[in-house]
Amino acid sequence: MALLTVKNLSVGYHTRKGFLKSVQGVSFALDQGKSLGLVGESGCGKTTIGMAIMGLLPDNATVTDGTILFEDQDLLKMSKKEIRQVRWKKIAMIFQAAMNALNPVHRVSEQISEAILAHDAEISEEVAMKQVESLFQLVGIPLDRMRDFPHHYSGGMKQRAIIAMALACHPPLIIADEPTTALDVIVQDQILSAIKDFQNKLKISVIFISHDIAVVADVCDNIGVMFAGQLVEYGRIEEVFDAPMHPYTKSLLASYLTLDKDVVQLNSYSGNTPDLIHPTTGCRYCERCSVAKAVCRLRAPEWVEYSPTHKAFCDQC
Amino acid sequence: MEIRKFIFKRLIEIFVIFFVILTVLFLLFRLAPGDPVTRMVDPTMTPEDAAHLIAQLGLDQPIWLQYIYYLKNFFTGNFGISFHYGVAVFSIILNRLPNTILLFSTSILLSAFVGIFLGKIASWHKGEKTDTWMTLGALICHTLFLPWLALILIWIFGFNIGWFPLNGMISPEIWLDSSSGFWLKFLDVAHHMVLPLATLFLIHFGSYLLLMRSSMLDTLREDYILTARAKGLTEKVIRNHHAAPNAALPVVTSVGISLAFSLGGGALTETVFSWPGIGRELVFAVSNSDYPLAQASFLLIATVVLISNLVVDVLYAYLDPRIKY
Amino acid sequence: MVERFLEGWSVYKENLIGKIGLTLLVIFALMALCSFFPPMIDPMYHPMTGVDPNISHSTSPSWRHWLGTDFIGRDILCQLLAGARIAFMVGISAAFMSILLGTVIGMIAGYSGKIVDTLLMRLADMIMVMPTLLVVLILSSLFGQLNIWTIVLLIALFRWPGVSRVIRAQTLSLKERPFIEAAKVAGASHFRVIFRHIMPNVLPLSLLYMTFRVTSAIIIEAALAFLGFGDPSTVSWGMMLQWVWKTGHMFQAPYWLLPPGICISLLTLSFYMLGRAMEEVLDPRLRKEIAQE
Repeated sequence: MALLTVKNLSVGYHTRKGFLKSVQGVSFALDQGKSLGLVGESGCGKTTIGMAIMGLLPDNATVTDGTILFEDQDLLKMSKKEIRQVRWKKIAMIFQAAMNALNPVHRVSEQISEAILAHDAEISEEVAMKQVESLFQLVGIPLDRMRDFPHHYSGGMKQRAIIAMALACHPPLIIADEPTTALDVIVQDQILSAIKDFQNKLKISVIFISHDIAVVADVCDNIGVMFAGQLVEYGRIEEVFDAPMHPYTKSLLASYLTLDKDVVQLNSYSGNTPDLIHPTTGCRYCERCSVAKAVCRLRAPEWVEYSPTHKAFCDQC
Repeated sequence: MEIRKFIFKRLIEIFVIFFVILTVLFLLFRLAPGDPVTRMVDPTMTPEDAAHLIAQLGLDQPIWLQYIYYLKNFFTGNFGISFHYGVAVFSIILNRLPNTILLFSTSILLSAFVGIFLGKIASWHKGEKTDTWMTLGALICHTLFLPWLALILIWIFGFNIGWFPLNGMISPEIWLDSSSGFWLKFLDVAHHMVLPLATLFLIHFGSYLLLMRSSMLDTLREDYILTARAKGLTEKVIRNHHAAPNAALPVVTSVGISLAFSLGGGALTETVFSWPGIGRELVFAVSNSDYPLAQASFLLIATVVLISNLVVDVLYAYLDPRIKY
Repeated sequence: MVERFLEGWSVYKENLIGKIGLTLLVIFALMALCSFFPPMIDPMYHPMTGVDPNISHSTSPSWRHWLGTDFIGRDILCQLLAGARIAFMVGISAAFMSILLGTVIGMIAGYSGKIVDTLLMRLADMIMVMPTLLVVLILSSLFGQLNIWTIVLLIALFRWPGVSRVIRAQTLSLKERPFIEAAKVAGASHFRVIFRHIMPNVLPLSLLYMTFRVTSAIIIEAALAFLGFGDPSTVSWGMMLQWVWKTGHMFQAPYWLLPPGICISLLTLSFYMLGRAMEEVLDPRLRKEIAQE
């Protein structure tokens, strides 16, 4: 049984200009111990999916359709109290821009032990603090920095503290939303190794949200490519990288300069971001697609399966 | 250790500011129309006493020496003799200082705490009736004219209902009676303090409420609040433990900024309620052309403002771990 | 410039607080204008010198005197109207002068930097520490009874620091902008750069602060008059309160005690509301958005 099954999820935001359909009909499943990378450009809806799973959508957002089954329970139908219990203990989140994710007026160790104490009524403060110590050792932060305040930490240390905090309740699933974006390359590398490490050691599932396809390739088993609120390709990493099927995936992969190939034409795309308030009934990628046909504009594409694990949302390519 | 260096540095700054004020007052004293001597020395004094005082204050010396005398007298606590009371000014203001500090600090603490507390609640219920009423109430109280509010309170609660005394700080009967215990005297002062405290409180709590409310609304949008929510904490814990301590910081700063203004209001309150404090003494002294007393009262108030500013800054440094000195 | 104003006006109109504030202000302005009429109808209505020949003590409202009379038989309503005139005059002139001073000093400090900046800001700090009311008090003890314009000037002299800080901050950020560089390269003198290029950009901020300064100016003048240090030849609301208090009528004459205080508070409130609404216009972040992204 899959750990997490998202079926036909649709989410929209009420804005001044209208109802923005940020996520449309997204479905995927994640098994225990496996990781999924959600990739796409800004505004494609990947963060919204992460927030919907956590129940942290802002006030002006509505889930218009779909179910999110976690350990056989639909998260969308849970009460506020039930969701609070699921949060962190079952699903934890690592946010982007660690700069501000920690409260400046409380010590770091306190903030982590708070998470432990909130979900375990019987544990004592001393025992919780001992657990915090072992977490710090796990992520590689010296124990003498435990009682510091967040502003004493460097960017990389803060992100590691955030990872430690996410691991605090030993959740089966962690959603990491652009965890390395704000960091410099060397630190990025360290953080990615840390994530891979706890994935392997602790068998935790990770949903890795990023706009950087190369980073995802490093860490994940499966990948889902998103565009304009829709999932356009899904499959195992090797499958999608070796044989991308959807034109968007192809252009994403081609936009990268690699050191081991000859210099390739740098592909950049034309066109504006698609209108999500009044989305087209046809294929949303149509405007930018290099192989678009007339029929693409008229009706929505269909899923084509290339293998039991690999499918693409395009029937014209 | 660093806090001490900071305090030391600030004390030096305060000293410098004080020095400038002293000097400016001195110059104005000389430049003002009229005879400086009669301003400082009561013309109704006997010639011998007057001569003695003039010598003490150096009023017969050339201007450079006068300045030295002025400073020396100031730092040795010799402010002259009050025309009105006939005794050394120093003893008068020393007697009045505790009364002002009592009223002033109590009112600031009360307004700040209540303002912050209510502002926090108002932000929770943003847009609802509770919030609208609180905000409106705060706004109206904030713009009331202090002396008028004081008069109204005296009229309603002192005169008509008769719950509180009309003025003063103590009831002479209680204090003159040697058998009155400490608690009786304490309650007596407290009883007299209710109306002046209420006046100051009503005028000031509004701005703290409004500030805390907007500060909370800003703080609740911060990333660490999202983290706290993701951790599965209850809204109550998030607001009280995570948001409020951060939101309260700008309010503490604003207490510091409005100190000068609060003291002006304090002087008005003391005058209307005949509360025997420095502010009232200053007003009295100016009305009676009792310059020695007026000058000393003013300087003492200036000192109180400067020191209170320092206290607020230190408090802020204590509350905000990001501040380093 | 004009279209910015019109755009601002449409945002302003949506704001309830702004509308209430503006309405109140208009009412008070009308009061101030009307203050000229009663003495023309009958000399006994003159706020300062007009005494009803038949009345020599405080009386409650009647047909001849809609708000009653004060302790020597002067009409209270006329005093109230005259007070409105004084309040506007004092408030606006003191605010205007302090804004003028504060803007110029703020711009100079921000633009010059280094020593000039430090000196000016130190001066600002020192002045800010002083309670304005008490400073004017001590000055009046030295210089005797103050005339209304002296009071206005003194208020302006002690209220400019707050504005100058903000203007200075704004100037500092504007200083680095390309168009300033361009002006300098084109050979503009410092004077010209400050007044032709920086000033128009800080002006909206100045105007905003002016509304807040008006409230404090009115309150300070009223407090001074209340304590007995105002200009004895002007009838301000603070002065009216002083008379009610000092003549011992505060308990018996609510028709005399209430109106001046209510007026001071309402006028202060309306300027404050005006300022808050203007804040929304000038700072787009504060505008009510239906939803964020």
